[in-house]
Amino acid sequence: MDRSDVYEKLTGIFRKVLSNDSLEISDELTANDVENWDSLSHMLLITEVEETFSIKFRLKELNKMHNVGEMVDIIISKL
Amino acid sequence: MVFTSLSFLLFYPLVVFIYFILPQKLRWGFVLLASLYFYTNIQPVFTLLLLGVSIVTYSFALFIDKSKSYKKKEILLTIGLLLVLLPLFFFKYYNFVNESIFSLLELTGLRWHLPQINWMLPIGISFYTFMAIGYIVDVYNEEIEAEKNLGLITLFLSYFPLVLSGPIERAPSMLPQFKKKMEFNYPMVVTGLQMILWGYFMKLVVADRLSVYIDPIISSIDQHSGGTIFLATLLYPMQIYCDLGGYSLIAIGAASVMGLKVRPNFNRPFFAMSVSEFWRRWHMSLISWILDYVYTPLSFMLRKYKMKGVVFTITLTLFIMGMWHGARLTFLVWAFYQGFFISLEAITKKRKSEIERRFNLTKKVWYILISIIITYIIFAFSFLTGGIRHTVSEGILAVIKMFTHFGPVYIDKTVLLYAFLGIAILLISEFRDEFYPNKFLFFNNKNVIIRWLSYFSVLLVIFIFGVFKGSNFIYFNF
Repeated sequence: MDRSDVYEKLTGIFRKVLSNDSLEISDELTANDVENWDSLSHMLLITEVEETFSIKFRLKELNKMHNVGEMVDIIISKL
Repeated sequence: MVFTSLSFLLFYPLVVFIYFILPQKLRWGFVLLASLYFYTNIQPVFTLLLLGVSIVTYSFALFIDKSKSYKKKEILLTIGLLLVLLPLFFFKYYNFVNESIFSLLELTGLRWHLPQINWMLPIGISFYTFMAIGYIVDVYNEEIEAEKNLGLITLFLSYFPLVLSGPIERAPSMLPQFKKKMEFNYPMVVTGLQMILWGYFMKLVVADRLSVYIDPIISSIDQHSGGTIFLATLLYPMQIYCDLGGYSLIAIGAASVMGLKVRPNFNRPFFAMSVSEFWRRWHMSLISWILDYVYTPLSFMLRKYKMKGVVFTITLTLFIMGMWHGARLTFLVWAFYQGFFISLEAITKKRKSEIERRFNLTKKVWYILISIIITYIIFAFSFLTGGIRHTVSEGILAVIKMFTHFGPVYIDKTVLLYAFLGIAILLISEFRDEFYPNKFLFFNNKNVIIRWLSYFSVLLVIFIFGVFKGSNFIYFNF
């Protein structure tokens, strides 16, 4: 799975969890830029990502995800 | 020596003056000495405790950094955190545990008590303990390297503008600032002085004036009419905001003058349109600390339970936050009250945002106004759970009275008039910042005459309408 595949799946998850059908995600996107992306929905996002890609994050990795790009990096490192 | 005392008004300018004439190398050491003097001046004995916590924090962070195995790091983290938490538990929860456990034992016929200890709470302990925990966890998570200079860790925990009531800062932002060249930064000095001025305005003109009206009513609920209690309840959030918010501004401003950037503590909380938004604008340094070091790890552990896990974590987090304020039943009820509304919002959030989008509600003035008012009222009523002011049953009595014996409302004309004048100035200024940022400027106006006229007007308002009886800050109790 390459970066664009990860992005495609991730876009679906983000749109569903944050209930925003027109949301476009990019490397630099952070929680501050998106309405509804708060600490509550963040953990739901994480769970969805884990299930979709069948991976498990560690808490340390969670703290290192400062934007979507870093999240994608960590996902790819686990596939 | 609190911020509102005369001695601080002498101490602070003197410290800043010496700080800037000293050579770079000596500056941090001088601030450390000044901080220890500042703290010792308030509670001599407990300086030793502050130093003890600093040494433990410093050593365990180093141990964690040095050890190779993951397992060993984990054990060291646990021991370190327990040691740092020990004094907090001892001073804050000893009597509570003693009384509640042994009164339970008494039910079974056992009569056995540990002696009551009525020491006063070491001032600021809840704040510097949290900063210490944050630092140790950050080192464990490899967010920063362990600091090799014990003096800098002690300065981080005892830095005088923050030590009494925060903002609860983080090592990754403070330690590098203590290490780098501490320069005289003119814009930061100006912003700092503006913050200090506004902080004194909030505290002396609004908070302390309101306390003259509110405190006697809340401390004798049975003697006042429902209507009077209702008015006091509605005003209390304003008092506590101006108390801690004013304190925070003075603290952040005092650091800013010395060239140090400290995180903000409030972001116009009374313009929040929901309870969850409110908590992103209120006592932000505490909330973000709790989010990072309590909520995130907990909800991460419970993430497979999805929404149920989220609701449980919110409640537990709020419980811990309530207990942080003090071991009292009132704070427990307070936590459940807040937890109820935040969970309710979390569950109905999707539907709410759909409706808002369909009718374009978030752009409508009436909708914004109603949301703001409802959020404010929910918050105001949360204080009826009692806090450190009264018991839960008195709070219930207050609510019952509002509905059954509303009666005449007691109005102290002078006190309320002065207070409302302060509140009006405050809210108009915040309204401008919220909806028209960078317009209608006073403190930051390009015109030097308007700038200085506004400084003098605020100063004049403080001198004419301020309350100068050397009152303390509410959050010194935590």
